[in-house]
Amino acid sequence: MPRRREVPKRPAAPDPVYNSQLVTRFINSMMFQGKKTVSERIFYSAMDVIADKVKEDPLKVFKKAVDNARPQVEVKSRRVGGSNYQVPVDVRPERQQSLAIRWLISYSRERGEKTMKERLANELIDAFNQRGSTIKKKEDTHRMAEANKAFAHFRW
Amino acid sequence: MTTMQYYGTGRRKTAVARVFLRPGSGKMLINRIPYEEYFKTNTQRGLVRQPLLLTSNQDKFDLYVTVAGGGLMGQAVAVRHGVARALVEANSELRLKLKQAKYLTRDPRRKERKKYGQPGARRRYQFSKR
Repeated sequence: MPRRREVPKRPAAPDPVYNSQLVTRFINSMMFQGKKTVSERIFYSAMDVIADKVKEDPLKVFKKAVDNARPQVEVKSRRVGGSNYQVPVDVRPERQQSLAIRWLISYSRERGEKTMKERLANELIDAFNQRGSTIKKKEDTHRMAEANKAFAHFRW
Repeated sequence: MTTMQYYGTGRRKTAVARVFLRPGSGKMLINRIPYEEYFKTNTQRGLVRQPLLLTSNQDKFDLYVTVAGGGLMGQAVAVRHGVARALVEANSELRLKLKQAKYLTRDPRRKERKKYGQPGARRRYQFSKR
């Protein structure tokens, strides 16, 4: 954490095809070893697959998928008097987005389709329709928060 | 040569671009190849057109560009730099706008040299106590 002053957020440069910062962040999060071109190719071809399968604007599907994957609450461990409690806390919008992106990518990678472009496209479509592992992860997170509601007063 | 022509040099990493603007309709040739063919990805194609779009000059000039050195991505940014500089030469009122968009700034970042006693620029060999 910085000692002197708040560090300003550096906004992501909007992506060249859809002009969206969300897309840039998604592509960057999916990147391995600084290979942005590879990541871009996977993302845009997945968008083509989506356009093909769902009769809707792929960007809209993508945005909806990310929004559907956003968790509202999560639990954080907190130590009080020798034992650990899972304390439910609200998630900041910024963090909601990061988690949604991270989950979408990691659960895409776990899917069975042959290529990343198909895995990503299908996971996004699933999330768009409120199905799939990513949505399940979000619901699990919500359930954890709900179950530990009794400790909500430990919030700091 | 009698036609009006504006020139700008652009650089990025080891790529150097020479950009000539001539009155025209928005065609761009890079090393004698149309830019859509020279650059393979939409990212790169978008990059070289940014300064023109920002100043709404997309269809006022034909561009003739030669670019050498570096990789495709570095070349694309070098071209953008050159286009921005050439636009300033054509119309100095655009300077402020292009400057604010950072298109006139020569990105000074370079590849950092590898050092002896290390496998890379920063990475050290694994330390073994004995």
